Amino acid sequence: MKKMIVAAFFAFIPLAAHAEYERVNLTVFGMDCAPCAHAIHVSMKGIEGLDTVDVDLNTGLVTIKLIPGNSASMRQFNQAVEKNGFAHKNAEIVVRGKLAGSANALVLEVSGTQDRYALSPMAASLDTVSLLGKTVIVTGELPPAPKGKIPDTLRYKTITEVR
Amino acid sequence: MKFLMVLAGVFTLPAVALASDHGPVFGYATPVNSQRELSFDTGIFGRSGSQATQLSTGSSFGYGLTPHITLNAFLPATFGAGSLPESRIISGSEWSAGASWRFLHSVTSVGKRIESTASLGLVVPGPQQDSGVLANLHRAPGVAGSVATGLASRSQYLWAGGGYTRFAEASNDRRPDTLSWSGVYGYRPAKLRRGYNQWDYRGFAELTGEHTGNVQKSGTILSGSSTTSVWLGPSVLAIFKNVAISGGVQDPVFRDASDSIYGHEHLRFAINFSYLKYSSHASSN
Repeated sequence: MKKMIVAAFFAFIPLAAHAEYERVNLTVFGMDCAPCAHAIHVSMKGIEGLDTVDVDLNTGLVTIKLIPGNSASMRQFNQAVEKNGFAHKNAEIVVRGKLAGSANALVLEVSGTQDRYALSPMAASLDTVSLLGKTVIVTGELPPAPKGKIPDTLRYKTITEVR
Repeated sequence: MKFLMVLAGVFTLPAVALASDHGPVFGYATPVNSQRELSFDTGIFGRSGSQATQLSTGSSFGYGLTPHITLNAFLPATFGAGSLPESRIISGSEWSAGASWRFLHSVTSVGKRIESTASLGLVVPGPQQDSGVLANLHRAPGVAGSVATGLASRSQYLWAGGGYTRFAEASNDRRPDTLSWSGVYGYRPAKLRRGYNQWDYRGFAELTGEHTGNVQKSGTILSGSSTTSVWLGPSVLAIFKNVAISGGVQDPVFRDASDSIYGHEHLRFAINFSYLKYSSHASSN
């Protein structure tokens, strides 16, 4: 019985390790000075799984790179902004997840988090039916969400299968 | 030139101005602490008059309860006797504690926000006496309230604010009510709009004004003890990540006060140091 549990545990590890945010470029409104940016930097670094964080005051862009196997969620990134009194806007993301739903209603599930996005194409629709049920890397843009929420829809540019 | 020293509070101002680390050194401004942010401020304020020059220092602590509510406390110590009028722009020897609430917060674009903050605090007499006409008054606690509103951006800052402090009566004595106001314009030159890991500088022009009511002693109003003054001067703020240093001077542009009671106050100056400890606490996903 123990062997079965151990085997099951190790069988699930690869799934968790292949579903995560890889990069988040989050636009933040309201930062006027160096302490504002420093506060965002400190807050983001408190999220487990972050590799690097860079804050550009003049563009308002917070560039976040994450380590493989992380389970950081979009809600955590947004909260790091909100707790410092600023507003999060669009976010360009690179994320791994499982493609679910149907051909007409694609859904990306970011395992290890509660994040789940309806996918809509930015340009001409790609052939995504063959990717259903597979682990994919999606690049795209999340629109602004109200405070305390994350967007429902991810407007994707590319979807590629993880092999 | 004589120097008398009063250790008092840089931030006995009604709590709006407690966030001096983000703004002007004399005037009211809107910034409050981030959630779970701890701030510590200490500095020296000076008031130079014909009877004496007095210096004030003290320490202020702030804690961000939420992104828009900050609790703060100020602990002064005082030395010397300047015989100067009551002031809430430059504090006396009162201890104070209160809260600031940023009730309006409109984030309009990258680097820009419009906000308004209200503060309410309890002001309690410290162990040290004031000087001059205020020295022998029985002192009672007071309430200080203020409101500030303004714009912060990468290039320019504009704040306006006002505050009112009223003290209770003690043994038929009462310190004067104080009405304070300020207008602040700030500018950060294009060359200094740099990354957050470099020193951040900006300059301010600060206009402050105060009207103090009459002093009441043994139930009698002291004639001519009311004052009105308006001050103008520059200040500079430098910040590196979580450390800030600011300083400024002000000269009177209008003054209506009895020289025989208060002497002639002709210069105010301030140097402030701030340390900010931001929270890295993150919620679980």
